[in-house]
Amino acid sequence: MSDDLKKRVKELIVRQLKLEMDPATIADDAPLFGDAEGGLGLDSIDALELVLGVEKEFGIKVQDEEVGVTAFASVNALCQFVRQKAA
Amino acid sequence: MAFQPLPHAFPFRFADGVVERTGPAEGRVRASLTANAEAMRDTGFPTAVLAELVAQSALLLQGGDAALGRKGFLAGISDFSVQRLPVAGDVLTIDVSIAGRLGDAVKFDGIVRDAEGRAVARGSVTVKQGSA
Repeated sequence: MSDDLKKRVKELIVRQLKLEMDPATIADDAPLFGDAEGGLGLDSIDALELVLGVEKEFGIKVQDEEVGVTAFASVNALCQFVRQKAA
Repeated sequence: MAFQPLPHAFPFRFADGVVERTGPAEGRVRASLTANAEAMRDTGFPTAVLAELVAQSALLLQGGDAALGRKGFLAGISDFSVQRLPVAGDVLTIDVSIAGRLGDAVKFDGIVRDAEGRAVARGSVTVKQGSA
């Protein structure tokens, strides 16, 4: 998977959610939501912000049901989702 | 303009009613500021109250469902800026549009203007239905 896309997604997460962290420190497979160890601990309000950011950044439309355990589970999952949508 | 349905009551009721509806939960709402509003005491009209005003406007445009409103809450404020704090006697209009929706969370963009059409405040609020 493209490192450029991962970098772009990580920067988007940090920028859109106004996180005070270095995007590079987000692990590719770390869970974005929930309280799992090593994850970002995002909540449902963050999910809405992230969806809006992804739609704007990549010009794709995200449906409610796509924001679940799969598409937005991690940076890796989100990159795969963006690639599929953009294809 | 008579008050339209909202679960909020004085002194926490800020939006009066819908002036124009341009779409589902989109349009223009009016708010008249009175000197005896609790929020006006001592500190003027606080910034947080302006954000709450946008949220109440959004709820009114959603239909002003009081039961629905009681289940919802202001969950987020973002990029909110205030150009000037309104004072008693101001008649404000609030233009609201949906920025995005995901499940039970809806983000609204709002612009508050005074009677001369000058922007008083602008920003986004996120309203969530259900519990936190």
